[in-house]
Amino acid sequence: MWSRPRSRALLVMVVLALAIASVVVLVANSVSATPSPISSIRIGPFGEVNYYASQPVPGVPPGLLVRVFLVNGSVVEPVRAFIDVYANAPNGIVHVSMGYSPTLIVPFNDSNWQYVLGKWASLGIPFSEYNTSMLIFVTYVKGNESWILPLLVPYNVAWAYAALGRATPLATTLSAIAPRYILVNAFINVNELRPNKVVPVRLNSTVTDPQVFGTVGSGSSKYVVYNCSLSGSQPKIYTPLPYEFIPTSDCVGINGSLPIAWVTWGRDVLQSKGDSGLSIYLNIDFSGTIDWDAMATSYGDIGTSYSASENWGVLSREFTIGSQVTQPGSMYWYYGGATWGIVRYSVYECGNINYLVKYGYCPYYNVYVGTTLVSEVLYVPPYDTNVRSVFDYGNGTISLLYYGAIPASRQYFGYPALNASTVVDYAAFSNGNIYQCNGPVNVNTGGMYAITLGGVNTAYGLSAAELGTALVEIVLGIGSIEAAIYGVPVWLSLLLSAGSLSATIAGLLIPPSTSTTTTKTTLEIMGVTTSTNLYISVIDASKAYGLPTFGFILNATNYYGNPTTYTCNYGKVAQIG
Amino acid sequence: MAIKSLFWFFVGFVLVSFASSLWLFLSSVLTIMPIPLPYWLLYTPGNMVRAGVVVAALMLALYTYLGVVLVLSKLSRGFVPIIMVIAFTIGSALLLAKLAIPALAVLVIAYVMLIGTYAVLISVATTRASKALWGVATMILALIPPILIGGGLAVIDYAKYMAIIEQSAAIMASAVEAWKLGNA
Repeated sequence: MWSRPRSRALLVMVVLALAIASVVVLVANSVSATPSPISSIRIGPFGEVNYYASQPVPGVPPGLLVRVFLVNGSVVEPVRAFIDVYANAPNGIVHVSMGYSPTLIVPFNDSNWQYVLGKWASLGIPFSEYNTSMLIFVTYVKGNESWILPLLVPYNVAWAYAALGRATPLATTLSAIAPRYILVNAFINVNELRPNKVVPVRLNSTVTDPQVFGTVGSGSSKYVVYNCSLSGSQPKIYTPLPYEFIPTSDCVGINGSLPIAWVTWGRDVLQSKGDSGLSIYLNIDFSGTIDWDAMATSYGDIGTSYSASENWGVLSREFTIGSQVTQPGSMYWYYGGATWGIVRYSVYECGNINYLVKYGYCPYYNVYVGTTLVSEVLYVPPYDTNVRSVFDYGNGTISLLYYGAIPASRQYFGYPALNASTVVDYAAFSNGNIYQCNGPVNVNTGGMYAITLGGVNTAYGLSAAELGTALVEIVLGIGSIEAAIYGVPVWLSLLLSAGSLSATIAGLLIPPSTSTTTTKTTLEIMGVTTSTNLYISVIDASKAYGLPTFGFILNATNYYGNPTTYTCNYGKVAQIG
Repeated sequence: MAIKSLFWFFVGFVLVSFASSLWLFLSSVLTIMPIPLPYWLLYTPGNMVRAGVVVAALMLALYTYLGVVLVLSKLSRGFVPIIMVIAFTIGSALLLAKLAIPALAVLVIAYVMLIGTYAVLISVATTRASKALWGVATMILALIPPILIGGGLAVIDYAKYMAIIEQSAAIMASAVEAWKLGNA
């Protein structure tokens, strides 16, 4: 090695050149010629949303840029897909843009988007108090299989107004708000996501209103079910020859009370002698920002559709079985004036490409590509003071959940919700014992038994950032790193711009910001005796509908759904008294 | 005193630094352009952390090499980088096991040992220029933690610029050493 001074001298020259180049690149990186995302969100394994404050390269206007990647085994590559973008309005969804490409650019000044922005502005609520979202469907077709991936991309209306240079009293410090460049990476994982089978169908363009439309209930528990497809549900044909995509979207909107927590009792509880006279308290406690995450069939959580600041103290409601409550029903807490929507999205593709190319339109039949179903919260008033409790004996929102939306969505959309997997067999009082099946029961003074749930935090696993776990995620960065570093991405640029251990360790010394959110749902039961027979199940409705809400179901003989066997993870038994 | 096999440590240091800063630059520029891009080149937090982990692993390997070469040259100060690598590895493992507080303690030791490693590099540097550059890097390395702890996120931009100067100084010092040792 030492006998080859010439090659060695060459290596030394290269090293020197690279060193100088590295310093130049480091400086170029730091002179903010390069953008770094101000914040970033990870949507499960399906996508990634990065927000930029500055545009370093001409050509991309402020707004949305969607990129599609195909994940096949260890290969991740950009792929052409049919990208369809909708904007969520306070009362429905509006079609904004579509294209067949690996990337789709939607600027804030898109006229359809502006229509929706105007709808939000007309609410007269300061933009800083809530975030809305864009609903994106990515359709990828390969052979006779197709994948439709729904994603929700949160944004703030003020970003658009800042980008458009429009002053509005709703954003008093508009000059301080930077327009945002929202970059979405959507991942179609063909190994993990079950494809739709492409089968020939006839396209029926006349969409009939579902039977559930109309006004239900009265007074404070009234809600309206309506068609929330604001741009109409007529198919918009998109023909990137030799392909043709015919997307259709149907939206069922539910406007009125949005449940926070509820308790439901069956007839058997009223008939059981041991349960008569039980006092039941349902308490809720919340402060902070609530993220309402949308849910989609066979995908689960697909991102936050709406978030708003909410705040109220401990609210409590009590009722006594036998005297105050004599018929089966529910008692629930709700936000008033809220809207949620169930969106069915389908794409048809022309089955006769030759005909299509020759004549420019598709013949009488089409090929069914696939469908997906999304349940999302569109709007809840920020700092909603209309948080109330009400009984529901068959015409309230809980009945809508149990008897209206669930069967209706199953019938209309073919989407089974609230199945057994969302029900937890929680605890039971029986034969003089407490069976703490999947959750602890706290014994308070005066023989009061309390079941406390963590609320939205528990539902989404967003517990306040603990030093330990946040550090792990920052260093390792695999998995849900983006959630942990949301708000402090500078650490990462520091980590890499230093490129060495120094910054990595320096970053560790800053404690992560902690959430101030508190949230709690409590069910308390008083007057339990050795003859009480009460089975308490918990429904996590967030898993079914994206409503961060819990329901307690009380039965006298068995857990909800009469399971013949059940597993108890907690499994503690104690004597009553 | 010149230890000739340290040449490869300095070459490696420059190459790894060059590759990581080039990746960072290209990915941050190209990501914004509406052109197809392989996923690993995308400027996403996940990719950045992955790249950071790769860079950290390569750097640890280099520091291990540095320590072994020094120890084999009968210089017991070579144990400083070796202890640093061990401490950093243990600290990372503790983080993986979600033991944050012990991990932090071990990582603080690793960081102190990293400063020590820079001091060792000053002591074996063969030119005044590289001694001075390593000196600057060492001082910045020692200053960043108190500045971040005192100022928090408000001063993170300054810390970032300091880190860039630190990194530039270390790269140039390595290049000078490589030049000197390579042409010896």
